Amino acid sequence: MEERLESKEGSRMRKTAMSALGTFGRNLGLTLYALFALFPLVWMVICSLKSDAEMYNTVFRFTPTLTNYTAVLLGTDYFKAFFQNLAVAGGAVILTILAGVPAAYALARYDFKKKEDLAFQILSFKFAPEILVILPIFIIFQRIGLYDTYFGLIWVYQLITMPLVIWVVRGYFEEISVEVEQAAQLDGYKWFDVFFNILVPLIKPGLVASGLLAFIFAWNSFTFPLVLSGFKIQTMTITSLRYIASDTVHYGQVAVASLVAVSPEIIACLFIQKHLVRGLSFGAVKG
Amino acid sequence: MARITLENITKKYKDKAALRSLSLDVADNEFFVLFGPAGAGKTTLLKTIAGIEFPQEGLVRINGEIVNLIEPMYRNISMVFENYALYPHMSVYDNIASPMRSKLYRKEESYIKEQVARVTKMMRIDGLLDRKPSQLSNGQRQRVAIGRCLVRTPNVFLMDEPLAHLDAKLRHFMRGELKEMQSSFSSTTIYVTHDYMEAMSLADRIAVLNEGRIEQLGTSLEMYYTPRNEFVARLFGEPEINIFDGELEEREGRLCLRALGQAELMPLEDDVAHALRSGGRRRVHVGLRGGDVRFSFADKGGWIKGSVYTNEPIGHKVIMVVDVNGTQIYLVAPNDTKAEIDKPVCIDMDIRNAIFFDAESGEYIIRHDAERCCRKPGDATETRR
Repeated sequence: MEERLESKEGSRMRKTAMSALGTFGRNLGLTLYALFALFPLVWMVICSLKSDAEMYNTVFRFTPTLTNYTAVLLGTDYFKAFFQNLAVAGGAVILTILAGVPAAYALARYDFKKKEDLAFQILSFKFAPEILVILPIFIIFQRIGLYDTYFGLIWVYQLITMPLVIWVVRGYFEEISVEVEQAAQLDGYKWFDVFFNILVPLIKPGLVASGLLAFIFAWNSFTFPLVLSGFKIQTMTITSLRYIASDTVHYGQVAVASLVAVSPEIIACLFIQKHLVRGLSFGAVKG
Repeated sequence: MARITLENITKKYKDKAALRSLSLDVADNEFFVLFGPAGAGKTTLLKTIAGIEFPQEGLVRINGEIVNLIEPMYRNISMVFENYALYPHMSVYDNIASPMRSKLYRKEESYIKEQVARVTKMMRIDGLLDRKPSQLSNGQRQRVAIGRCLVRTPNVFLMDEPLAHLDAKLRHFMRGELKEMQSSFSSTTIYVTHDYMEAMSLADRIAVLNEGRIEQLGTSLEMYYTPRNEFVARLFGEPEINIFDGELEEREGRLCLRALGQAELMPLEDDVAHALRSGGRRRVHVGLRGGDVRFSFADKGGWIKGSVYTNEPIGHKVIMVVDVNGTQIYLVAPNDTKAEIDKPVCIDMDIRNAIFFDAESGEYIIRHDAERCCRKPGDATETRR
């Protein structure tokens, strides 16, 4: 009897030990993964603090210096590129939302001929490699005077941002029962009120998440601004090329430029994290 | 409150017709029930009145005014949707308050508070005001939806199966509340249900819908006692009405019925005989409700012999199915009836309460002394036509 009790006790101890090990193992795994995922960022921070001379030593011992920062941030027109990038990427996302959300609504709610073909056509813009379409676009842009303009870049960025937003938001619209809209109309709301008071809050998680992703894609775009913009507009991705000088590659300065470049994305992600994680609450519809 | 008139409404989805040239006149302050099987067009009819579905043909009138081109929000109609259609991101309070906060029907916040308190108390959801719809059970969601509908004073209440997801006890209670509300507010209500008891207890009038057409329009007693065809007869009553073949024979100057393979003939009443003779019929379909069939386990002379097929106690009564020569007859037995399957049993049918249908078309021909069953004799003759 006692023996059995003991063995029972033993098994329970083993169990708690197991679960403790499990928690420990899980945490260890997640920590390792976090290190793995964050390492490029950390490595970039380290590089940005090294002088060019120390750049190639592989041990993590060096004298930190801010020369790279002063060279990039004060010595060049880096901030101009930063704001130009912001204008182009931000403008692209705003245009995408203004045009894409109504398009997504139409694709979700209305029945028209070739609807699925059209939706797929929009998605297919993302399939084509940028480098394949860039030359004709370059020629056309030069002809019609859109080369090296804000609008030209914002327009061509729609290829990157629009399909994403339309497809994600369309899914959210489809999840909302059409009866919810009808109920709101019977409650005395005009379609515009219904849209902004009922629909927009419900698609917000999808809109924010896809909008942010679209912004990141636009922000990081390289091929389009490289070919379609000249001296007037220079995005950060293009400006970073400048630190590959003819004499040497200033990796420290590239690191600083990249660090500043990713900062808006990181900040934006932190702020709207809860929207990225939280889904829609579908509870109001039977199912 | 208002009178609702539909004239020759036809509504098609793609090629499939949901409503076929349907006309309907719902009087002011009437509690009107739309009843029928799934896919009969009940919900489409409600949505047509609300203005969220547009008929291809026909006119919708509210108080005589044609509203076909009037947007839903200007029609001042309050509706309970079958799938609740609550706003997922709003609390119960805000959901119910929403119709009183729109630009069109705006009310003072203090008034809103009063009204929300009134309906939530009636719906017994006053403890859930801060919850989101996702935190409610289906029954609670349904009550919120009813609350959002009842909080207004519209032209007409449209209710699409509003009690379908409540448990039996609550459904019974709500049925009473709706009936009470109807008499005290004198409101026009159009109510969709597929529960015949709900239909019969609530309705001033019932329209039975099938495949986009009205099969019969009348009071609940007319539906029950003088159904216009076999389809309507089968919809009302529990257990379902027994409908079996019968042959007509003349015997000693009286018209008699032979049914269920019995040698014994059942003499028919004079008014029934007259109606059946005039059509020159040999065969009819006989409809007889379970309550009009007596049974005995002792051998009785002149009764029909059969055997127990199933015996289903449902609390206040037992529904027994008796097999007579391959035809199954449903009957209502007292709740202490115990019977093993295949036990021999005798049944006696009260043929005076039978409803006779045409053997081919299934249309109503006659029942004995139909006026006795329906309180308003005038209406009864109308449905027979």
